[in-house]
Amino acid sequence: MGTYVLRRLLLLIPTLFGMSLFIFLMLRLLPGDVVDLMTAGQEQATDESKRKLREAFGLADPLPVQYVKWILGLLLRGDPGKSLRSGQPIGEALGQALPVTLELTLLAVLMATTVAIPLGVLSASHRDSGADFGGRVAGLIGLSIPSFWLATLTLLFTSVVFGWVPPVSWVPPTSDPLGNLEQMLLPAAALAVQLMAIEMRMTRTTMLEVLGQDYVRTARAKGANDRLVTYRHALRNALIPVISVIGFQIGTLMGGSAIIEVIFGLNGIGATLIQAIFNRDYPMVQAAALFLATVFVVINTSVDLLYGYLDPRIKHA
Amino acid sequence: MSPDVRSLLRRGLTRRAWLLRAGLLAGSGLLAACAPGAPAAPTQAPAAAPTAAAKPTTAPAAAPTTAPPAATTVPAAKPTTAPAAAPTTAPAAAGKRGGKLTWALEQDPVHLIPYGAVPTANMWGKEFMYDSLIAWDRNLAIQPALATEWSAPDDHTYVFKLRQGAKFHDGSEVTAEDVKWGIEAQANPPPPGIKTQYPAKITTIDAVDKYTVRINMSGPDPSVIGYFAWQRYTPVTPKGIYDKVNVLTQGIGTGPYKLVEFVPNDRVVYTRNPDFWNKDLPYLDEITLKVLPDEQARVAALRSGAIDGGTFTADVAKTMANDRNLTVLKGLYAAHKEIQFVLKDAKNPWSDVRVRQAINHAINRQDIIDKVFGGDASYSSIIPPGYGDWPLPEADLKGNYLKYDVDKAKSLLQAAGFGSGFEMELQSINPPRYITQSAEVVSEHLKAVGIKANVVPLEIGTFAKNNADGSYSGAQLTARGMRGDPNGYVTEFHPKTPIFATWFEGGFLNDELTKILDDALLTPDQAKRKQLYTRAQQILLTELPHIPLVQDMKYQVVRNRLKNMYVSYTDFNTGLREAWVEG
Repeated sequence: MGTYVLRRLLLLIPTLFGMSLFIFLMLRLLPGDVVDLMTAGQEQATDESKRKLREAFGLADPLPVQYVKWILGLLLRGDPGKSLRSGQPIGEALGQALPVTLELTLLAVLMATTVAIPLGVLSASHRDSGADFGGRVAGLIGLSIPSFWLATLTLLFTSVVFGWVPPVSWVPPTSDPLGNLEQMLLPAAALAVQLMAIEMRMTRTTMLEVLGQDYVRTARAKGANDRLVTYRHALRNALIPVISVIGFQIGTLMGGSAIIEVIFGLNGIGATLIQAIFNRDYPMVQAAALFLATVFVVINTSVDLLYGYLDPRIKHA
Repeated sequence: MSPDVRSLLRRGLTRRAWLLRAGLLAGSGLLAACAPGAPAAPTQAPAAAPTAAAKPTTAPAAAPTTAPPAATTVPAAKPTTAPAAAPTTAPAAAGKRGGKLTWALEQDPVHLIPYGAVPTANMWGKEFMYDSLIAWDRNLAIQPALATEWSAPDDHTYVFKLRQGAKFHDGSEVTAEDVKWGIEAQANPPPPGIKTQYPAKITTIDAVDKYTVRINMSGPDPSVIGYFAWQRYTPVTPKGIYDKVNVLTQGIGTGPYKLVEFVPNDRVVYTRNPDFWNKDLPYLDEITLKVLPDEQARVAALRSGAIDGGTFTADVAKTMANDRNLTVLKGLYAAHKEIQFVLKDAKNPWSDVRVRQAINHAINRQDIIDKVFGGDASYSSIIPPGYGDWPLPEADLKGNYLKYDVDKAKSLLQAAGFGSGFEMELQSINPPRYITQSAEVVSEHLKAVGIKANVVPLEIGTFAKNNADGSYSGAQLTARGMRGDPNGYVTEFHPKTPIFATWFEGGFLNDELTKILDDALLTPDQAKRKQLYTRAQQILLTELPHIPLVQDMKYQVVRNRLKNMYVSYTDFNTGLREAWVEG
């Protein structure tokens, strides 16, 4: 087990390294840089002043030099650099954005899970009943609705019908928990719907599988009541794959919340990333993308490891 | 006669002082454009008088203009005495003091650096905390701001007299030293600033005394006045501001509102400056600018009252026209659309002037206006409509230079040897979608004369790179912006302008045009300048190195409680400086 964990962790290094290179190069394949954008339509901008600005931004160096400078700064000093467009230290910018995205993601997972798992269990334990069909249809709908569409529609709906939209200025949960919740509930719900559907369907499927197992029949045979069988024997085993799905989805949600953040005017990591791409703000994009990728990889690895721990049947050489 | 000139006369200035001032106002290149349909302001005002008519600098310089805002429809805005771009002596405030306002920005200001910032959104973020020496009012007439008077003692010198007692937000007084330092910073802005519009003929700046700044020039350049009204490039800051605050997110100005905080990608918060030099302003206690890039989110926020106003596309603004709580404002703004060519390679069909003329006459501009801009736009000359009376009259454009005439287009193509047509690329920016939609309509028009124009929508970064290095084949459909002086709209066609080498060198050069553009910068006489730029536009609309298309309207929708707001021609939200709220 120890070697397995170590091997999984060591494997992270080349993965992250490769990812950094990929992000770095992909970005530079895009035509146009920040100086082109800043001087767009400016007939008086001289090549000389553009060159000076590129030098000041470190864009005049050859690509390998730029890459090594970036990686070394990141590894040795923990410094992802400064935004080319705003000059703001990137650590600071992401530090402001992270709580928003994190809260949005966790809130969405919480909402999805508290609704989806009971529904999935209900659906499975009353297979082919009206409730089951209702749940399955709702799940399919939830799976098919794009979150950005739902977000825009929800906003317009509440604004036209109730004359209300979430407050537009971000309040940290530490200073005003209720105000913060008022602001985050709607975007989190919009983000949660798809995950909810995935979790609900997953729970239902695994529950059905587990309910057909011998040990469940044995439990029933020895006279345990339905509730005990469902929740004590079946659910605990059925949840293992569901938990791993939730884990994987957290990484996806953090990146996927970008569009929700833009629609609701929340200054999260995703919105920052999108803005930075349009601005050709290389270090900002690199830092934000690498951050999201790292979160994704780390969560996946932890879920894998956790999975082994939860399910002793999985053997590790 | 423009309202500001009338009010100057009413204030009983001497004739000599009036001549000087009128000349200088005209020298701005931007004499008041009255409401559409009203006769345009005269440009035949006398040239800047060679000597300053010394007038006590403490005297307020001009009474407020009383003209209603051009092309705006703020409900219940009291018709008189409102505009407050005019200083100090305005009669008792018409607006209501107090209250807060939230305005949506469709783009992040990114940073608030005072000097060398190009993006318009940067100006949206910082415009309420700064003043320039002089300022455009809502009719684009030049008004005093931190300078109460200005003059041109000779054609190599401009002198600005500063307003005494005007204070920065840190409490220090505005002096000539600060102004001098700021102008020098504009000549060499630290990154991420970049020098783009700085008048090349400025040599040195002298702080003559505490309240007098002299700008020495290597030669005449009447566009300097417009430059110093262009607050985007010329805010006045305390000397050494870069060492005092982090200019990326902070600032020290003299404007009606003081910056509280700027959170990039989120919001800018301003509070009332109680020591503003114009005692009647500002009205509001607080302004919050909220970054809301998604248009439907802005609609939802506006309908529910979470924001008090913002900018919208024409289609979306019209969907809100029936909401009793909202008012739709519209007005021309400096952002005309045009087709650009790179004319360096003689092998390209469009290097032949007849082909460009054919393209020009094949385009049905009214069709673009109807299909893309909801019927609400104007033909645009090289200088866009609404920019004083500098552009060619629309009748001349419609009936002659930009006339839709397919037969003429066909015969021109025939004469150029392209009777059977050719294929080309037409790049467009996307988003915003109306640029690409315009390109698609143009492509349809060109099909009728046998030209197959393939529309290639590009994300702005890619488009900007192609535009900056001329590395595209075919044409680009793009939007232009505000300029401080009419010269700004024609300067790219002069061989000395940096971009000329990239776009035209070796493929397009018109000696008559070059001479006119040179002369126009040596001519302080506004009537003569007008003639020169009229001739320049006539040449350009015949040679057509670039083909101007249309100028659309900018729509801003506000809650009814917001008063005295107007659509600013400059594409900024300048109206908020004098806006107030009720209830």
